[in-house]
Amino acid sequence: MDSISLQHVEKGKYQLLIILGLAVFTLLSAVFALGLGSSSNLDMVTSWKIVISDTKKFFLNIDTVADNLWYNLTACISSSSCEDRSLLHGIEREGTNIQNAIIWDWRFPRILTAIVGGIALAVAGALMQGCLGNPLVSPLTLGVASGAALGAAFAIVLGFTILSIPELAIVANAFFFSLVVVTIIIQLGKIRSISAESYILVGIAITFICGAIVSTMQYFATDAQLSQLAHWSFGSLSRPSGGNVILMGLILASLLPTALKWSWDLNTLSMGGDEFAISTGVNPSKIRKNILIVSALMTSIVIAFTGLIGFVGLAAPHMSRLIVGNDFRKLIPCSGLFGAFLMIFADTLGRTLFAPIVIPVGVMLSIIGGPFFMYLLLRRGGHH
Amino acid sequence: MKDISFSMKSNEVVAILGINGAGKSTLIKCLNRILSPKSGDIHIRPHWSNLKETNLINISSLDLVEISKTMSYVPQNVATSFPMDVFDVVLLGRKPHLSWRISDEDRDKVSETLRYLNLEDFAFRKFNQISGGERQRVIIAKAIAQDPNLFLFDEPTSDLDLKNQIQIMKCIRKIIKDKNNSKSALIAIHDINIAAKYSDKILLLNNGSIMAYGPPSQVLTEENIAEVFGVKCSISSVDKHYIRVDVDDEI
Repeated sequence: MDSISLQHVEKGKYQLLIILGLAVFTLLSAVFALGLGSSSNLDMVTSWKIVISDTKKFFLNIDTVADNLWYNLTACISSSSCEDRSLLHGIEREGTNIQNAIIWDWRFPRILTAIVGGIALAVAGALMQGCLGNPLVSPLTLGVASGAALGAAFAIVLGFTILSIPELAIVANAFFFSLVVVTIIIQLGKIRSISAESYILVGIAITFICGAIVSTMQYFATDAQLSQLAHWSFGSLSRPSGGNVILMGLILASLLPTALKWSWDLNTLSMGGDEFAISTGVNPSKIRKNILIVSALMTSIVIAFTGLIGFVGLAAPHMSRLIVGNDFRKLIPCSGLFGAFLMIFADTLGRTLFAPIVIPVGVMLSIIGGPFFMYLLLRRGGHH
Repeated sequence: MKDISFSMKSNEVVAILGINGAGKSTLIKCLNRILSPKSGDIHIRPHWSNLKETNLINISSLDLVEISKTMSYVPQNVATSFPMDVFDVVLLGRKPHLSWRISDEDRDKVSETLRYLNLEDFAFRKFNQISGGERQRVIIAKAIAQDPNLFLFDEPTSDLDLKNQIQIMKCIRKIIKDKNNSKSALIAIHDINIAAKYSDKILLLNNGSIMAYGPPSQVLTEENIAEVFGVKCSISSVDKHYIRVDVDDEI
């Protein structure tokens, strides 16, 4: 092989190694975060002991786990006086009930949400920036999140809900209204000559419209409603339950391969714009529409459960670019990992820094992520 | 534009001349479907081995990947917010030929092209950290890596200084005149003298149709230039191949 080709292969291997390292690092920080917390009867070493022993028991007694899962899925539907069993029901455990509850019912879903949400928002950000050719774009730019906020406001202030199940009312509303925005994007995509800028401008217009309606509702809302709405908009990882996270994870897992499949198209589109893409055999308007729909879905499923989390979708792709460059085959996985790590880091800091007060992850991300992001960009002499 | 019909041979450089708005860029962009005609059709009769056809093919019946394997468009300039390494930009030329994995042949094709255009020192520099002339050469390298039969250049020298203009035109001629390949180029250009010096034929557009088509010495007459561009000029022969156009004043 040519020496330049060899150099290119080497560089690719090196970048892959970095991505692998980042994956291991993110996993380790998730385990570390499982052991961190403000509880007085659970220190870090005990937490890890419980995590390790329970994980071992989970895999050694996988048949009992399956039985319990089956019981939860079937028995509880037929009888009204039944409680969900824990998956390790009937097996002797290492920790006390409280300790187990803190780790598995409280911290674990939270960290899982951080990982799933971080991946989804960061990947959505990378996809949107690439297909719109604009580094200022984040998953919130298209107005999906303002749609979600509007839905939440409808549920909280007016009591207008799509689903009547109380725990899911706000989530369902937020998701439904963000789908309305996705529909608008699909309709826009049908216009033959729509440009990348038009998408962004329409997104900004949607943001303004939804914002105005939410403000109007706030004007007439009671104090309790106002505070609930404010809490929703902070963006927090404490809301989704274990089942919610699994749902989010499944949807994300079904969308990610499609996104990766478009890597080469995104490479041509983000590198040279529409004419360059066409002359390389890529149909820019079709690809752009499809990518925007997928990334808007990723964003809305996460935001419906967690509330507004914006910064990770802007910053994680840019930080990843500094490491692996603009090849989307590497940028998409790297952004996802970076997003997961940022979320775990910000959330863990948020719940331990002023414990027992928990600072919402959306706020924490912007406070610590913002200056770090600026430092990274300025250090490079403002090339972006 | 109406009733435009012309034929090109392999290893031939054809320059399109005409005033602003005459349809130089439009003609080129219609050929590889960057633009689609509002009404009417564009047909080609390719004699390329991969798309050989004795009948006329309607361009709109071909898909973009098929077109991109036979024609490659080089814009006036490429600006990006997300610059890649020069090597990776040229590698994008292999996009129509690959699915996900980059094969060793793809890489070697890119390396070979970079050396061919003396770009090997820039292989791992970012696209936005090199000069305008170098960037233009990188985009041409990308077009070569795409392995097309026909190159379409849209004012490739308009943003460049004198030396870079000459370098780019020489580079284009080097590719087209390479007898190992049978490639040709269609270049929309403004500079009459560069067109006269570096092209085999000139296609003179006026009011959306072809006014003259042939070797520079036949097409670039004082009368034709006066009618199309509205300027007075004098034509002189430099040697038996080249002519020079000196513009005096507007009419």
